[in-house]
Amino acid sequence: MGRTPRGLVLGALLLALLATPLSAPFLDSYNYVLQVMIVMFMWIAMTSSWNIIGGFAGYTSLGHGVFFALGGYLSGSLFVYLGLSPFLTAPLAGLVAVGVGLLVGLITLRTRGPSFIISTIALLLMTNLLINNWQFVGGANGMSLPLPTLPLAAAKASFYYAMLVAAVGSVYLAYRVKRSKFGLGLRAVAEDETKAEVAGINTRMYKIAAFALSAFFVAVAGAVWAYSLAYLRPVTFLSIAIAADFVLMPILGGRGTVAGPVLGSVLIVGVNELSVAYFGGTALNLVATGALLLVVLLFFPQGIVGTLRQHRRLPRILDWD
Amino acid sequence: MTNALQTLILGLLLGGVYALMASGLTLVFGVMRIVNLAHAAFVTVGAYVAYGVFTAFRIDPLLSILVTMPALFVLGALLYRLLYAGIEGSHRFVEMTVLVGFALALITEGLLVTLFTGIYRSTRPWYSTASFELGPLFIPEGQLYASGVSVVLLALLWVFLHFTRTGYAIRATSQNRTSAQIVGVNVRRISTVAFGVGLALAGASGSLMSFLFTFFPSGHWQWIAILLSLIVLGGLGSLRGALVGAFGLAVIATFVSTWLGQTWSPLTFFLALFVILLVRPHGIFGKELEA
Repeated sequence: MGRTPRGLVLGALLLALLATPLSAPFLDSYNYVLQVMIVMFMWIAMTSSWNIIGGFAGYTSLGHGVFFALGGYLSGSLFVYLGLSPFLTAPLAGLVAVGVGLLVGLITLRTRGPSFIISTIALLLMTNLLINNWQFVGGANGMSLPLPTLPLAAAKASFYYAMLVAAVGSVYLAYRVKRSKFGLGLRAVAEDETKAEVAGINTRMYKIAAFALSAFFVAVAGAVWAYSLAYLRPVTFLSIAIAADFVLMPILGGRGTVAGPVLGSVLIVGVNELSVAYFGGTALNLVATGALLLVVLLFFPQGIVGTLRQHRRLPRILDWD
Repeated sequence: MTNALQTLILGLLLGGVYALMASGLTLVFGVMRIVNLAHAAFVTVGAYVAYGVFTAFRIDPLLSILVTMPALFVLGALLYRLLYAGIEGSHRFVEMTVLVGFALALITEGLLVTLFTGIYRSTRPWYSTASFELGPLFIPEGQLYASGVSVVLLALLWVFLHFTRTGYAIRATSQNRTSAQIVGVNVRRISTVAFGVGLALAGASGSLMSFLFTFFPSGHWQWIAILLSLIVLGGLGSLRGALVGAFGLAVIATFVSTWLGQTWSPLTFFLALFVILLVRPHGIFGKELEA
């Protein structure tokens, strides 16, 4: 591999992303393109965040939809009842999610491995049941948010930038965690928890901190997503398909690497868009998601980035660790 | 008093069916340490098969067990060879199986929606709405027969595990895989059979589900949470534990349903699952569940 000026390329990419909304006057499918990018940024933000507990610490969570819903419903309610813009309350939602993550982590992280996964599914289904029956946030019927007053194109651009900030922030956070002493401790937990404990790492505190931290950008993304949808239902955040994507994207890209979740999100969102465009949004999407997850799990458990690195074929441009 | 007794009866009848549903899940974990997250999805497949033979040939759902059990046995044996045999012994095997099961459940659900749409279905044999009356109490016939069939099948399972050569081998494998291999058990073949039996039990449960409950493709997530909480309570891998968990939680959930309304009865299982995982992660009779 030649010395690619990685920083330069990534910087140029970021500039291009920042400039994309300026293409409004020249692009017919402007709204569509921006919408797809928004979804892509959302998943980059969420899976990079998930990766802190699911990848670095090796604790697979199927329950992060709960933080997604928390962000969406908290900012949504503050908007409906107090008129506060979700752009302002999104960071607040993130902080609340960290707090809730601490509490939930204190409970669920007493378990390890498979028990932990099972407890996160229970958490997801329980939250779903509660929100479906909580009339203050509309129950199963859902809750409408006031529509943005800006014209459509400008509103789209504002969601675009908000999601971009969340995505870049989340990737940067993952990067900093990965390179820190904290990240090293998490890696020790993922590799052999008992040995890590013997080596003097407070594994329990590390895991809980990782779980709580991993909730932040998921909730931020949820808040922005809620604003852009303007209509919230429990299934928007808590469906099993979303729980599946939370796991599939980082595992496909390479869990535990910084670039993996980004790559996985771009690929899955892209493929999803294509399959909806060509085959319509059918249940076969679910089949494809499951089949892909199966193939990756059985044949490339380290994902694209991990497998390439193992064979020393990882291009420098994708080596963000 | 009559009310409480009535609720207790309904809870116990329900418990019998839950026990059958959970038995396959716990067997498969006990023998191979596979957490089959798709177990309830296969129960639903069984229900659709029973529905199919009922609407096409008017075959009674209780009789359809003779179709669903072999069909799902074969499916189970194939899936074991195809998916699990290769990753046996790999790093974090148990966690892998949870994710593999998750993927299988997604595939199954997607296929069911594609084939049968998301409409709520159920079979309606004559006994599904009939009931016996005992003074002030009533006993729904469908639930009584279903519970009876469950008990018979569980007894047969017990006999199979304790009085046949294959049964010995299955129990030996579940106690210690390596030692079983050393004394000449063909562990791979036994695992294939055990996974097949696990799914056959899911198939039989599906036949019962088809007339006891309305079913639809995505309903299995709710079910798997219920089944997991039952066997986690009893202790993963323990059949005795699954029975205790099934009857115990079914009765509690039926009381919750009577007192607080049907909406909240699933909450019993989720809360139970949490509490057990925290207080006693090995359950009452169970094996350790670590990565």
